[in-house]
Amino acid sequence: MRLPSFLDRLLGHPFQTFIFAGKYLAFTHLFLEYGYSANPAEGPSMLPTFEVLGEYILISKRHALGRGVEVGDLVVYNIPTKKGNGIKRILGLPGDYVMLQSPETSNKAMIQVPQGHCWIVGDNLPASRDSRLFGPVPLALIKGKVIGRIKPFHFQWIENPLKKVEEAS
Amino acid sequence: MSTKFLGQFTHHLIRYATWLPPLILFNTHVAQVTLINGPSMYPYLNPQYHESLRRDLCLVFKLYAQWNLKRGMLVTFRNPNDPEKITVKRIIGLEGDVIHARPPYPHEYVHVPEGHIWVEGDGEKSKDSNYYGPISVRLITGRITHILSPLNRAGRVKWWEHPSHSARA
Repeated sequence: MRLPSFLDRLLGHPFQTFIFAGKYLAFTHLFLEYGYSANPAEGPSMLPTFEVLGEYILISKRHALGRGVEVGDLVVYNIPTKKGNGIKRILGLPGDYVMLQSPETSNKAMIQVPQGHCWIVGDNLPASRDSRLFGPVPLALIKGKVIGRIKPFHFQWIENPLKKVEEAS
Repeated sequence: MSTKFLGQFTHHLIRYATWLPPLILFNTHVAQVTLINGPSMYPYLNPQYHESLRRDLCLVFKLYAQWNLKRGMLVTFRNPNDPEKITVKRIIGLEGDVIHARPPYPHEYVHVPEGHIWVEGDGEKSKDSNYYGPISVRLITGRITHILSPLNRAGRVKWWEHPSHSARA
């Protein structure tokens, strides 16, 4: 008895299906790694911008390794001291002077962000572990830039809140 | 005739192109063959850097590269000063170690912080942790496990025979 033609095609070669599935998975992985991906965001460190739970973010991986990021952008980064990753806002790029601690503390020391690094801080200052704790972060640890917020039945693009002087006036 | 040829040509082109994503995935996450530039690992890699243009061909193993790090291993990592560059150095200290740093570093003794390692090149002409400080483990992309060319030095990298494998404080 002959199989129906689509099953014959599917099962004709013993490994064809697996090879095709493998290639397809590899392509998807590359798109998620170098293109765009959507991940859940959680935690209190970015509170006014993102809720503690229940929100997804759209990440552009084309800004990985800090390519073309600017001060004010939200980035996803690999935490330098442990496993896992987080979302923070870029406050300083190489050469910028930043405060080592929050403005309300007594420590008013400043440092210059070293070459190839950036200074990232959460929006919720008291509840954020960021560059104030582990220092400047290498740009190579930046995985991508947050370009959108996804809530159930709601999507919103996220733009850099800092505007150039001409645009603002 | 010519349309038939073009049709077959594009068919084969697309068939081979579908193998690119698995190949890229393999190179970024499993293993890669790469050429070593420069004198920073001088007596061990590129021993003839000042005599010829020949460079060493090495196998970089990338699976679980950030796990189970030991002193003496040769690792490749994204340069903290330039995210686009990948650098090869030897691990001298793991987290918690106290390292005797060399001149470009401002302090004489360094305590390697959590989630960081201290890397140094074997040669004198090396910009290593003495220059940019301890680096985050998350920057590591792979380990050099084999030298493939030149043939007289080809073989496994015996990192456990390096003196730094026994602790240095």
